[in-house]
Amino acid sequence: MFTPVPREKFDKLQIAALVGLMCLGAAFVFSATMVSQIETDKAWFAQVWFRQVIWYALGIGVAAALCAVDYHSLARWSFVAYWAMILCLVVVLIPFIGKTHGWGARRWIDLPFFQFQPSEFAKLAFILAAANFLARPADELKQMHIFWKGIGLMMLPFALILKEPDLGSALVLLPTGLVMMFAAGTPKKYLLLLIGTVSLLAVLFLADLLFAPLRWQIPMQEYQRNRLLVYFGRDYTHFASPNATPAELQRLKQRQLDDAYNVRQALISVGSGGLMGKGWRQGTQNALGYLPRAVAHNDFIFSVIAEEEGFVGSVIILALYAVVLFTGLRIAGSARDRLGKLVAVGVVTLIFSHVFINIGMNIRIMPVTGVPLPLLSYGGSSVLGSLIAVGLMQNIHIHRRGY
Amino acid sequence: MLVFDELKKNDLQLRLVAVMLVAGLCILLIGLWWVQVVSAHEFQSHLETQSYRSIRLPAVRGKILDREGRVLAENHPRYNLSLYLDDMRGPFDKAYGQSLKAAMARQKQLIAAAEKKLDRSLTKAERKTFALKSEQLQQMRVAARLRVAGEVVARVSEKIGEPITLDPKKFERAYETRLALPYPILPNLNEEQIARFQENYTNGLGADLELQSVRRYPLGLTAAHLLGYLQRNDESQEGEDPDFNYRLPDYRGLVGVEAGFDAQLRGRAGGESVLVNNLGYRQSENIWSQPAPGHNLVLTIDLDLQTVAETAVTSHQGAEAHAAVVVLDVRNGDVLALASSPSVDPNNYIEGFTAAEMARKDDENLRPEINRATQENYAPGSIFKPIIGLAVLESGLNPNKVFTVQADPLKPGKGCIYVGKRKIGDLAAPGDYDFRRAIMRSSNSYFIMNGLNTGIDKIIALSEKFHFGDRTGLPTRQETSGDLPSLRRIHDGWTAGDTANVCIGQGEVAVTPMQMAVAFAAIANGGKVFWPRLAARIEPQDPAAGETATNFPAGLVRDELGVSARSLRTLHSAMLAETEDPEGTGKAAVVGPGLRICGKTGTAQVQDEHNRTIGHNYWFASFAPYENPKYAVVVMVQSTTEVGFGGSICAPIAHDIYESILKKQTAPSVLAMSH
Repeated sequence: MFTPVPREKFDKLQIAALVGLMCLGAAFVFSATMVSQIETDKAWFAQVWFRQVIWYALGIGVAAALCAVDYHSLARWSFVAYWAMILCLVVVLIPFIGKTHGWGARRWIDLPFFQFQPSEFAKLAFILAAANFLARPADELKQMHIFWKGIGLMMLPFALILKEPDLGSALVLLPTGLVMMFAAGTPKKYLLLLIGTVSLLAVLFLADLLFAPLRWQIPMQEYQRNRLLVYFGRDYTHFASPNATPAELQRLKQRQLDDAYNVRQALISVGSGGLMGKGWRQGTQNALGYLPRAVAHNDFIFSVIAEEEGFVGSVIILALYAVVLFTGLRIAGSARDRLGKLVAVGVVTLIFSHVFINIGMNIRIMPVTGVPLPLLSYGGSSVLGSLIAVGLMQNIHIHRRGY
Repeated sequence: MLVFDELKKNDLQLRLVAVMLVAGLCILLIGLWWVQVVSAHEFQSHLETQSYRSIRLPAVRGKILDREGRVLAENHPRYNLSLYLDDMRGPFDKAYGQSLKAAMARQKQLIAAAEKKLDRSLTKAERKTFALKSEQLQQMRVAARLRVAGEVVARVSEKIGEPITLDPKKFERAYETRLALPYPILPNLNEEQIARFQENYTNGLGADLELQSVRRYPLGLTAAHLLGYLQRNDESQEGEDPDFNYRLPDYRGLVGVEAGFDAQLRGRAGGESVLVNNLGYRQSENIWSQPAPGHNLVLTIDLDLQTVAETAVTSHQGAEAHAAVVVLDVRNGDVLALASSPSVDPNNYIEGFTAAEMARKDDENLRPEINRATQENYAPGSIFKPIIGLAVLESGLNPNKVFTVQADPLKPGKGCIYVGKRKIGDLAAPGDYDFRRAIMRSSNSYFIMNGLNTGIDKIIALSEKFHFGDRTGLPTRQETSGDLPSLRRIHDGWTAGDTANVCIGQGEVAVTPMQMAVAFAAIANGGKVFWPRLAARIEPQDPAAGETATNFPAGLVRDELGVSARSLRTLHSAMLAETEDPEGTGKAAVVGPGLRICGKTGTAQVQDEHNRTIGHNYWFASFAPYENPKYAVVVMVQSTTEVGFGGSICAPIAHDIYESILKKQTAPSVLAMSH
């Protein structure tokens, strides 16, 4: 079972792109964090950028180990992994176990050596489980109950992650699941029905959020609502009670400005980078603290890169992701079976969703959600998850047709 | 290519996924191109507005020097003690952290107490009522800042031995609006305080000395009027960047040469940009445009003469005398002294006035800000007679022809003359007068008689050549034009009585002492009416800067009188007799044979609209030396009561000035050494 893998079996182009992303990730986590006194005073091995490098190493190790096992064997354990992750997602919701780390959302379980974010791994477990489930003959997928089972498989982690709440991580499950169902050959009418229903719900939800008076609002976290209002450019004052005093209205306006702050600063960072950027570690938005320190090295790492390396840097980042994504599709196309193809398509869609939502929020075409940029954002769970995901793709490549 | 590999394959689903990926990446690419390339400038300017504060740096003002380079106005460094808030950020945060800790502990105690009272643990909602509100947190921040700043101020105060108080409101306002600038806590430290601060406050956290260049007039009241004064004005000048976030104190000349040459003296302000962080604390600074220092202004004023003129007024008439003195070089029109009394120390406009000084400045009667040498019209009285005399001589009067003045029937010791039915009294005795005696005794009757014979047209024509009724063009913004009836006026309802008034320097004629000095200089120099020159040149402060000085030409002739040398000679000798003849009224001016003076005294009554006498203007107008005139000296003293006549009030002041001129002529080397 644990036969050594000949090197040439790897998709070298994808690995080159991944190495490029990891180098950039380490460099810009360094740039983003080495601006505060507290950080620079630490020993080098305790600094954030070095911890990120350790995570890369660990992740590469885990991914390599996974490549040694045929993905069919892994898929056999997928439902165990799935339910284990569901359990974790339930556990994280329990107060005193799930930690908020000051963010108002219970997303973390504190382990002795790291803060474990189950949602990152739940996404992978879902991909494996869904692929395993959908890998059955295409004819079976025409049965209604199979379709609904597939939907249920997706909605369970979605609902749990939404409950944390982590809107971003929950949302990436939807395109991933849908694309996998589509790739598996689920009848078009089901999918159209599904997309239609989801779109309708989304439209109703947004209409309610943006235009309905306060007491008709769907209950949701205040900050989430505000982020969406900021994204759609709605005035907070619209939701003030009709007899609000001018001082109250003023306070609402100020709050809106505060809530829009991150987005505005991210946009200023990206925009002021211009064509060529200001150079590595020369960005002022992060150094001067306009871009909040707490998010600059993780959710908003792209702002730092775009400010310091300009449009040229942004294009390089996009190009590297494009290489990873399209080699991923090539792996899907040359996979030995439906299972391999579906896992690869799932991973590609997952990575793409992260990239699109994260970069999109930096340039204000997406609302702010806590979705990390794969391999660039700082974060152990995210890095591990991303590397395991690409490890799965390499695994499929290694065990492709003709081998 | 990767993409096309997939699209070529006969796998519909994968092909669609590939199309979706391409579309998504293209959306991101277009978005990024829009933000980073198309709108880059917009975001760069956003970045600048939020992270840069520009500060206008005023230039060092040019000096004002007298003709020999002695300083009349300069700048001196002033040290202000200031708090540097960017250094205090750490202590601010620490203090806030401490008070936050204390507040949390107190909150815990309160909750515990409440729980004990209820004998159960509080619900979540109940706990929430104990939570600290954001206003409370804000208050704690403000209090922590104030505490830290107060401690620093107290420490500094102790070290330099000077009580300093910190105004909480002002401090908080400065923190909110001017965080990037130092906050002044003690302005204008004296040398001892500076020394103590530098010795004792060595580990200096948060406080430091800040240097400011401040205008100073080292001689105080000397030449105060012609120098003028400054007013705080930080606005951008022409050609400077109009937009600054902050402006350091700058000044603009309001009157005097400070105003007339403001642009040259002021130089060009520079700019500094301060990089601030998201909280507004200063991170670094960059002077992107060095201020260009203003140029020095060299005046034609002779500081010795100016001082003598001012002390002469003070010693004879007191410090609050309403008086003016003008000394001109008759050969070229250079203003050698231009004094007006009383005056205000121009340093006060920078350093501030006490209540008493303020009351004196605004005193309606004193009006010390008025430059009486140029800024007000006065009836010239008898000192206008030399001009009338010149007109009558030019129209052919034989100066030796005797005119008999009849006695005033009411005052037998005085003469009088009838113009129509009106009797005009004379201070001079009745009897025989030729030109010389008429000037010397200041006979009204003689000049009215001959003035009427000559005709007002010729008198006005000559007066216009002297440019009475016209400004002399001094760059001090303190000038009136005086009054002279126009040719139209004298052909419209003009009476012989009006002419008679003009002949004795009353009625519709009014002059400034400066105009009289220009006129007497013209009489002295053979007929050249000069533009008086006050500014000799403008030169760069740093001679090594390579800029060249701008010289203002001397001896600019405004008009030629076109009178005969014979008439002038007659007038000169009559005016010489005024000071040298036993009968002369200006004898008090005489300084000896080394400097023979031609003069004319005058006393004009000042009447209100009901023709009641409300005051007197005393005059002595003169030039010297008689043989080869160089100086014209005009002295004017105002008084509300009758205290004497021009010869007794003003001639002694002129005497002191001439005496100083004489001394300087005989011992130039000594004077040269003294400065």
